[in-house]
Amino acid sequence: MRCCFTVALLCFFGLVGDTGYAADEPVSFNRDIRPILAKNCFACHGPDEGTREADLRLDTHAGATAARDGRRALVPGRASESELVARIESDDPDVVMPPADSGHELSVDEKTLLRRWISEGGEYKVHWSFTQPVKSELPPVEQSDWPKHPIDHFVLAKMEAGQLTASEKADRYRLIRRVSLDLTGLPPTPEEADAFVADSSDRAFEKVVDRLLASEAYGEHWARMWLDLARYADTKGYEKDRHRDIWKFRDWVIHALNRDMPYDQFTIEQLAGDLLPNASNEQILATAFHRNTMTNDEGGTDNEEFRVAAVKDRVDTTMQVWMGLTMGCAKCHSHKYDPISQQDYYSLYAIFNQTADADRSDDVPVLPLPTAEQTWQISEIEAAIRVLQQKKQEKSDDSLDAMIKEQQKKLSGVRNAVTKTPIMKELPEGKPRETRLHRRGNFLDQGDRVEPAIMELFGSIDAEVPVNRLQVARWITQPENPLTSRVMVNRVWARLFGTGLVETEEDFGTQGMMPSHPELLDWLAVDFRDGGWSIKKLIRTIVLSSTYQQSAAVDVKKLAADPRNILLSRGPRFRLSAETVRDQALAASGLLTRKVGGPSVMPPQPDGVWKSTYNALKWIDATGPDRYRRALYTYWKRTSPYPAMITFDAGSGEVCQIRRVRTNTPLQALVMLNDPAYVEAAGALARRMNDVDGATAARIRRGFRLALIRPPSDDEAARLLEVYEDLSANYAKDSAAADKLVKAANREAGDAAMIAVANVLLNLDESLMKP
Amino acid sequence: MQLPISLQKTQAVTRRHFFGQTGLGFGALALQSLLGRDGVAAEKDYRIPAKAKSIIYLHMAGSPSQMELFEDKPALTKFHGQECPQEYLEGKRFAFIKGTPKMLGPQFKYQKHGETGQSLSELLPGLASISDDVCVIRSMHTEQFNHSPAQLLLQTGNPRLGYPSIGSWVNYGLGSENENLPGFVVLASGGKTPSAGKSLWGSGFLPTVYQGIQCRTDGGDPILYLSNPSGMSREARRKTLDAIRDLNTFEHQNIGDPETLTRISQYELAYRMQMSVPEVMDIGKEPKHILDLYGAQPGHVSEAESAADPRVLYKGNDPTFANNCLLARRLVENGVRFVQLYDWGWDHHGSSPGESVDETLPIKCQQIDRAIAGLVKDLKQRGLFDETLIIWGGEFGRTPMMQNNVHKELKKGFIGRDHHPHAFTMWMAGGGIKPGSYGSTDDIGYYIGENPMSIRDLQATILHQIGIDPHRFNFAYEGLNQRLIGPTEEGRVIKEIIS
Repeated sequence: MRCCFTVALLCFFGLVGDTGYAADEPVSFNRDIRPILAKNCFACHGPDEGTREADLRLDTHAGATAARDGRRALVPGRASESELVARIESDDPDVVMPPADSGHELSVDEKTLLRRWISEGGEYKVHWSFTQPVKSELPPVEQSDWPKHPIDHFVLAKMEAGQLTASEKADRYRLIRRVSLDLTGLPPTPEEADAFVADSSDRAFEKVVDRLLASEAYGEHWARMWLDLARYADTKGYEKDRHRDIWKFRDWVIHALNRDMPYDQFTIEQLAGDLLPNASNEQILATAFHRNTMTNDEGGTDNEEFRVAAVKDRVDTTMQVWMGLTMGCAKCHSHKYDPISQQDYYSLYAIFNQTADADRSDDVPVLPLPTAEQTWQISEIEAAIRVLQQKKQEKSDDSLDAMIKEQQKKLSGVRNAVTKTPIMKELPEGKPRETRLHRRGNFLDQGDRVEPAIMELFGSIDAEVPVNRLQVARWITQPENPLTSRVMVNRVWARLFGTGLVETEEDFGTQGMMPSHPELLDWLAVDFRDGGWSIKKLIRTIVLSSTYQQSAAVDVKKLAADPRNILLSRGPRFRLSAETVRDQALAASGLLTRKVGGPSVMPPQPDGVWKSTYNALKWIDATGPDRYRRALYTYWKRTSPYPAMITFDAGSGEVCQIRRVRTNTPLQALVMLNDPAYVEAAGALARRMNDVDGATAARIRRGFRLALIRPPSDDEAARLLEVYEDLSANYAKDSAAADKLVKAANREAGDAAMIAVANVLLNLDESLMKP
Repeated sequence: MQLPISLQKTQAVTRRHFFGQTGLGFGALALQSLLGRDGVAAEKDYRIPAKAKSIIYLHMAGSPSQMELFEDKPALTKFHGQECPQEYLEGKRFAFIKGTPKMLGPQFKYQKHGETGQSLSELLPGLASISDDVCVIRSMHTEQFNHSPAQLLLQTGNPRLGYPSIGSWVNYGLGSENENLPGFVVLASGGKTPSAGKSLWGSGFLPTVYQGIQCRTDGGDPILYLSNPSGMSREARRKTLDAIRDLNTFEHQNIGDPETLTRISQYELAYRMQMSVPEVMDIGKEPKHILDLYGAQPGHVSEAESAADPRVLYKGNDPTFANNCLLARRLVENGVRFVQLYDWGWDHHGSSPGESVDETLPIKCQQIDRAIAGLVKDLKQRGLFDETLIIWGGEFGRTPMMQNNVHKELKKGFIGRDHHPHAFTMWMAGGGIKPGSYGSTDDIGYYIGENPMSIRDLQATILHQIGIDPHRFNFAYEGLNQRLIGPTEEGRVIKEIIS
């Protein structure tokens, strides 16, 4: 499947003709050959020594060219002498490779490619993502007035090779809505849009971008992306799925992003903030990243089993999030495709295996972080106790004892109320946990002892210092690591364009997809790494490009030529995330409570959704300002996540989620049409509409602008007016129904027909999509 | 839906390009995720001839005692009250048993039934009446001995959270027969959802469109947000939807994104569902003799369903599970592929009130026994039995020893058994399953005697019956071709139980 897609993509890029690969284009190992070998051969002739057949490995040049019984699988430059070619072209079912029962079969084109590759020398190259990214020269383009930025050169060159032309720039209303939603997860106000439309300066768009990047909403919006990776949730998972106080980590992410903490520091603090010299509370708090693993409080469970599961999750998540490598399989056996052995896995595991947490129901170790008020109270009570004790020394008095007792009780009351966040903490020095390899991944079946070590894939780390999490973090963020910067720029690109330059954001290994624009990816990766790891700067760079600012409109011809917009010849248009759908409705209707951070909140949810086993936690609909907080602050229970957001593809927070797959379902329509939260938003939007003095048309226009930012066309305005008048006539006849709808929208009084129109506005495709 | 001519043409083009294979409806994905995503548009090489069209899975959350229901063990009766030999305790992990517990003989009487001579306890007269239709598997075993991980292993193939449930896999592999209804419906009774919560019907790494949809029968919307807001009649809703459609059509003319056409279709489908779902969910439409067959009572909402501790409120005539069984029949009759029932309250440790083998288990059996017999008989009389695979069981078994951590001696209303992963009983029926028995345990029911059947075997067999090759059926994720039956080839289709 992947392989076919790669071939299709290459055809598309005009690199190859209709009938196959152009004869004058040399075969590229990484682009053409490795995918074929990886898909068809490596499972039995790859890095995993446990399943290697006939002692032959085809993932290395040495393995493929080794003499075996006088024959060599690969004889460089001599296809017809190569056993590999003889085998793939054989008609004998006992000889042919891959064997019929493997389920793999080579196409004629694939066989031709393999033969050509060997004839051209049969060279092996390191997998593309394992080599250093470099900034290549900007490719020449025909439409030289279009590129504003190196990004545009790379994009336009591919576009032109694919016989496509760039789209015109998006209109300013759509552009400001797009960039506001992308950078802050909130729509602009119509007034902000008007100001931008009226701004004739060259820097008009830049000014908008800089204002958005400086707003607190930026950190809130981009934190959500990171929380998916951190598998953040407000409960511990499994049967009891009890509450966990870890929202301070969520706030740490928001603040770090808003301060534009460099990505290398952001990484080091989360993985090993506790191991930094003189670590601050904030740096220790950052390590809660890896305390988002689940804790099993079910009665009668083996705590060691779930502690081990949590440590393995940390290893897998670390490698996935920062390096785009999948480690899951190496728990049980060496990786079949990437150069990661089972030994490598458990060496890394041994490093993470040294923390003090142990699947305990109190989640220790924790970091108590009192509020200023609590700190004040504690010091006041402590002072009072000291005074009383002093008095007691002067003369014995029973009433003094009682007073001291009372103060101590007060003190422990305050201390208990202090938020305690689970954090990473190493075991006491000199008492390391012994690590053994788990045979077939089973923690009860322990094999040989394994020492902590970092795999040698991308250069080793100074051996003088202890091998610990801090060393892992430094290894990940050292400039020699070719994956870290690529993976992060690809992730940011994917959030802005809907699809990564490497579509398989989660897999940069040999089973992942090839980048659609390799030079662009590398240019961004180098720029990000060498420019101080600034995420804000990266985002700014991308959104200021002509590529980003194109209109998303597409005609039938272009759509047929590039249905998924791989060549980026139009602007990104895709459905807003679950969180943005909610936040936008709250913002447009004026309900949104702007408050950053704090404990998670419970906006309305249907009764009976929470019916979990042995869990006393109750969902109580918030009634005050907390009812209208951004979606990011919604209480997240792993075994029963907020239903409206799950319907819009939010994850459960059980495991690290690298990307969300977007769906388009009737259940989403039901949420938008009928969820009381959205009906209430419609009620509030209708109130804002009716606040406009003037004719109904002006009111409808106001609603349209609040929801979609741009002014309506005449047809749109007329159609909305028509449905308003139609419903208005109906509700005039049935005032009971009108009253009911007004009440359902959580309003004392109002215009039922206008509420229905507001409901229409919030349900438009354009409302749900990034324009 | 009428579109302008110009638009119809566009739609035809885009349909041909994007939706030719998949069709719209409940399985339709957003355009961006439809193509190129591994697996989503996968080749159908995993399809094999199907014995069953749909599945009704009856999961007894907590795990019923096989000792009181299916395992007539005279030897265990003989050793009743004696201390458990150390060989059964050493090196074993138990959830709650401490030290040396006493052996506990079956608490109820057994009798053989029907032509197959099926041995069943007196607690299951209904099952006895259909004993020649079911295949009882007494040799099930699992790797997990705590509820949540064991339920996850059973239903998602992995004891950790985050993997797709079997219903999601089937939904993904086969889709729904009825585009106006979800392909995978979940119904819960017993007052609680199972230990692993909604993760049991989550879609894991599969797109969320394949997750189970929980239909509620406790008085609220059968599907969340299905009803229009109060004061919005169906006619008013139609008018708003017409306006949405027309404005979306303008949008499509301007922008040309086929996703907008999908959106229009999905809103229309939502409108149709507002009719079709309550209709199919309304068991009040059934005649009295059918309601009686199951013991169903339309509209009844048991107080156990909203109690903090439902266990102390259990009554033998509680119709909630029976209602769900009848609903399950209506759903499969209407083309729903996978109906998952959970009944909570089967964890009979004997340590707290309302969870004993001697007093609670008979009540729970009354709640389900007639309903299950009714379901099988009803499916048979409608000719649906052969194409509907029914599976019944818990997530593990219960120990032949008495649980001893709270009550060391036998005490009425507090007799219980601990979790037992080494051997337990499930049964399957219909959908090409051969009636009879499969597998056995040793004299005291501790270990499997012959023909062991693992969780992987069960999963492989279920997929096989619904027309999916369990070994070929996979989804690329995390660098692996993920499968319900796991990465190894241990799981096998148990041919002996297939007719």
